Amino acid sequence: MSNRLGAVPSTLDFEQIKRIIPQRFPFLMVDRVVEIEPGVRVVGLKNLTGNEWFYQGHFPKKAITPGAMICEAIAQTGIVFFSLSQPDSGDVTYLLGSLKMRFLEPVWPGDQMRIEVTPIKVMSKAGILNAVVTVDNRTVAKGEFALAAKDNEAL
Amino acid sequence: MRTTNLDQEVKELIADIIEVDPASLDPDANLVEDLGMDSMMALEILASLEKRFKIKLPEDELPKITTVNRAIEVAKKYVK
Repeated sequence: MSNRLGAVPSTLDFEQIKRIIPQRFPFLMVDRVVEIEPGVRVVGLKNLTGNEWFYQGHFPKKAITPGAMICEAIAQTGIVFFSLSQPDSGDVTYLLGSLKMRFLEPVWPGDQMRIEVTPIKVMSKAGILNAVVTVDNRTVAKGEFALAAKDNEAL
Repeated sequence: MRTTNLDQEVKELIADIIEVDPASLDPDANLVEDLGMDSMMALEILASLEKRFKIKLPEDELPKITTVNRAIEVAKKYVK
């Protein structure tokens, strides 16, 4: 199966991730991809340090990872899943279509989020995916989200 | 046409996703033009039909789901 990396690798480092997803600092929320089964699942890692930009404001007296940034990490892991599961989809931007998420525990500076994405229904240009985020084997967030690949010319 | 459980379930499932009252949902109304369904809602309907009726619907069935009645026809083709 071809994609932007050629043959599908079994893991991705940070530089390889940047060849798949377009987000950059301060919005790149996946450090490493540790498990890849194309069309079946992808597992990404995000290490949170006390230096993350969003802790300045969320919150000044007690740093807690914003749920929105956890969702961003999930969506970006979803882009990796989608990109590696589909033949080269061309010049596209991935947009989040919907999100149903439950946040079960706070995520703190120093935590490592393990983000597992599996398919519910994937088509050539869109998909509904399931996500489970764990920290030290405890589930901190889980839910469903939909991604659509939009041709950049059409945006 | 006699209304079956499947018909009603498909109607309710679609009404829930496009956020309309099932009682007022015309089964022949165009889901896109009349009811504002977008492509992600269409995908959600397909995935919900699969889950509800334990069926697998290929991608080429997606454009056929233009009305509630067409969705019922698609579902019936795959439900054993």
